[in-house]
Amino acid sequence: EEQNGGLGIDEEIKVAKKRKPLPKLDEPRLLSQAGIPKLRRKAKDRLKFKGKGHEFTDVSRLLNFYQLWLDDLFPRAKFADGLAMIEKLGHSKRMQTMRREWIDENRQIAAR
Amino acid sequence: DNDDRDVIDPEVRAYVYSLVSALGGSAGDEGGRYILGDDALACLKDLKRWLKLYDERTNRLDVARCLAEANLVNGDLLEILAAWREDEPLNKLKSKIALACLELLVPLTWPIEKEDGDVTVNHHRHMPYLQLAHVSYKRGILHHDSTKILRTAVRIGLPSMALPLKERSSRDEGIIKLILYFFRNVALISPPRNLPTEETQNDIARSATIDSFEEQDILHLILTVSSSMGDDFDTEDVVVLELLFHLLKGIDVPQLFLDNSELSAKKEDELQDMLNKEAGMRRSYARVAPSRHNRFGTMIWLKRDDEKVSTLSGQDVLRDGQQSLAKMDRSKRSNKSKRGKKGQEPVHNDFSMPENISSASNRRLRAFVEEFLDASFNPLFIHIRKAIEREEDRVLDIHIRQYFYLVGWFLEAQRERRERYRRLMKQGGDVKSPDTESFALVAGVLNQETFISLNRSMQQALDNKSWHDLNAGMKCFTQILLTVHEMSESPLEEDQEIAENIQNRIFYEETTHDRLFAIVRAYKDQGYSFLDTTTELTHVFLRMLERYSKQNVDMQVRSRRRARKKKAANPVAGAEDQQEDGSEAEEVAQAQMVSKERKFDFNRFASKLVTQKCVDLYVALTQYYNDLDTEQLKRLHRFFYRAAFKMEMSVLLFRVDIIALFNKMIMGPDGLDQSSPVFKDWNELVRQIFKKLIRKMQERPELVIEILFSKIPSTLYYLEYGHEKQTVSKP
Repeated sequence: EEQNGGLGIDEEIKVAKKRKPLPKLDEPRLLSQAGIPKLRRKAKDRLKFKGKGHEFTDVSRLLNFYQLWLDDLFPRAKFADGLAMIEKLGHSKRMQTMRREWIDENRQIAAR
Repeated sequence: DNDDRDVIDPEVRAYVYSLVSALGGSAGDEGGRYILGDDALACLKDLKRWLKLYDERTNRLDVARCLAEANLVNGDLLEILAAWREDEPLNKLKSKIALACLELLVPLTWPIEKEDGDVTVNHHRHMPYLQLAHVSYKRGILHHDSTKILRTAVRIGLPSMALPLKERSSRDEGIIKLILYFFRNVALISPPRNLPTEETQNDIARSATIDSFEEQDILHLILTVSSSMGDDFDTEDVVVLELLFHLLKGIDVPQLFLDNSELSAKKEDELQDMLNKEAGMRRSYARVAPSRHNRFGTMIWLKRDDEKVSTLSGQDVLRDGQQSLAKMDRSKRSNKSKRGKKGQEPVHNDFSMPENISSASNRRLRAFVEEFLDASFNPLFIHIRKAIEREEDRVLDIHIRQYFYLVGWFLEAQRERRERYRRLMKQGGDVKSPDTESFALVAGVLNQETFISLNRSMQQALDNKSWHDLNAGMKCFTQILLTVHEMSESPLEEDQEIAENIQNRIFYEETTHDRLFAIVRAYKDQGYSFLDTTTELTHVFLRMLERYSKQNVDMQVRSRRRARKKKAANPVAGAEDQQEDGSEAEEVAQAQMVSKERKFDFNRFASKLVTQKCVDLYVALTQYYNDLDTEQLKRLHRFFYRAAFKMEMSVLLFRVDIIALFNKMIMGPDGLDQSSPVFKDWNELVRQIFKKLIRKMQERPELVIEILFSKIPSTLYYLEYGHEKQTVSKP
């Protein structure tokens, strides 16, 4: 340090790189094409049930359907954790309006 | 050693050590007997002064630490007490010295409260050492070689206790309290959970405490003091309460009232159950266990939509798709961080840890509990309730919790005791018939005054978010409901009438109902014990209320509403309100409660209770399904059955996490034990719920999305029934 005259000119300035922000499972992601719109689309042609007598197979099929959807949407989270995150998002004002809209849409389709 | 790293001021240490060595010691030439120093009494007083003037005044633990390192308790104090033989009680100097020893023992065994606001580095430094020292003190006190130390302590106090209450000086009262606090401290000390302990701690476990208390007649002392509470004793009530609490907390009441043979049979059954359970677990593992060595290196592709594939390795994934999906989920590395538990209680005030005692102690404790119920329960508990109501200085917050916990505990004990007599009678055993007036034994807590103070305490605990207090209150309330229920089924007409009366009073106030809703709403990860208590209370309350309202079709409730609300509904009055804006605050303060009676409607009540929040509460307990007993699983089953089929609110259960939990319980892996007596019921319930779910999904495609979320109240009805609720407009 004495050699540099104590001025510190020769010292390299270290620039701390900013960490890349972790992807989040938030409203925009949930409402994006890979989110709920995809779920609604896929459910129509992928979710077929065998019905009476096959309750448990039907339900495990249902659960697998959601697990794969969630894995595509947000691969980081485990199934249970991802579900908890989505459930939490459902409490927001915007999501509640959206949810009501989806229900109404379906009702109109059903009424036709 | 005097190296610089010593954490205690060397001068303090030197003073304290010199006092300890001046106190006396065992000498070889005296045959190993303990010989008192010349100024032993003065030394003891000085040591007491050190504790008071240094430790207490400066909020440190240095002297206590020094005394622990110098082995004062086991090396000196207990030896001095042991030397005070029973045949020389009148030696004045010796009894003075014995009292001085006790005066040191009590502060030295006093529990160290961690929650104190002024915890310093000093405390953290000394606490672990002192906790372990406490354990060794307790060991020394309970298992002294030659003398019964606890009994000696009683002897110190006998002259004071023999005096009538009015003639006692404050010094006498002090001595009595000192002794009782000494026993409380001994009962309270338990192996610290956060510290490693070198050996098994059987010699200081609860069983050992109970055994010593019985052998040295301390249990008798407790019975005597509490049965004459109000006559011969007055301010000692809260100390006795604490003593009882630390003796009884966490002890399973039904188990206490099992006989040896029944107990061992139960233990055997338990062992058999455990072995079966383990075999079941192994079987279910064997089904997926690899059949080749671990470097066999299988790898598969899981084909997914949009030409995507996931790669998985291991042989277990070959078997079926379910396995591969489960493995995919398991292999994810991110784990939602689990927050640490907030507001941890000091260990010794926690009553939620189950405590096991040996069968011999079980018998001894049962005898004590029966005698206590016969003679001491009413005097003591009425006396304490009055003290709580008068807000006496000696009553601390913790006592209120202990009071309600113990009331609940003893009510359960009384029910189990009757049950046991009935069992013995059925077996044709020659036992004295159960006291027909046995409800009178606990009548002291089945009165309006107790209900009022219980209600107030529960409401306060709820408002202050003090969950442990609320937990104790709820336990007590549940036991009151169960006791009253049993009373209503008594063959005596008088009992039935009283029970009817009490039930009417409990269920009459709508505030009681509303509090139950509020407790359910307040649920937010308070832990297992809270879940268990809350679900039990809601279960018992619902059942009792349903039964009662069926029997009394014209049941009325009194609802109290703020007067202002009614005014607001009236537009004219509302306008007036706006005019006199200034006096509004005053008005709010004065807002009167308007009470009115209306007919009780059980369905309305049940639908207010069976909400998303309540479902969450029950689901949270269900997650522990593998550790729950049959009773708890039944309770959960009844609730979900009620929600889905009686109340027709199955939509509340249609959430992916709940469905996944139910599916796991029945289909595994790590599912509910198939040999469990409730498995069949659960299997059927889950199948029915799933059936309904599949049907609903087909009927209402919007469920595909809604199943991800908790339902919004406004859409709930539509989802369940497929049309909006028809609201009947009031004329």
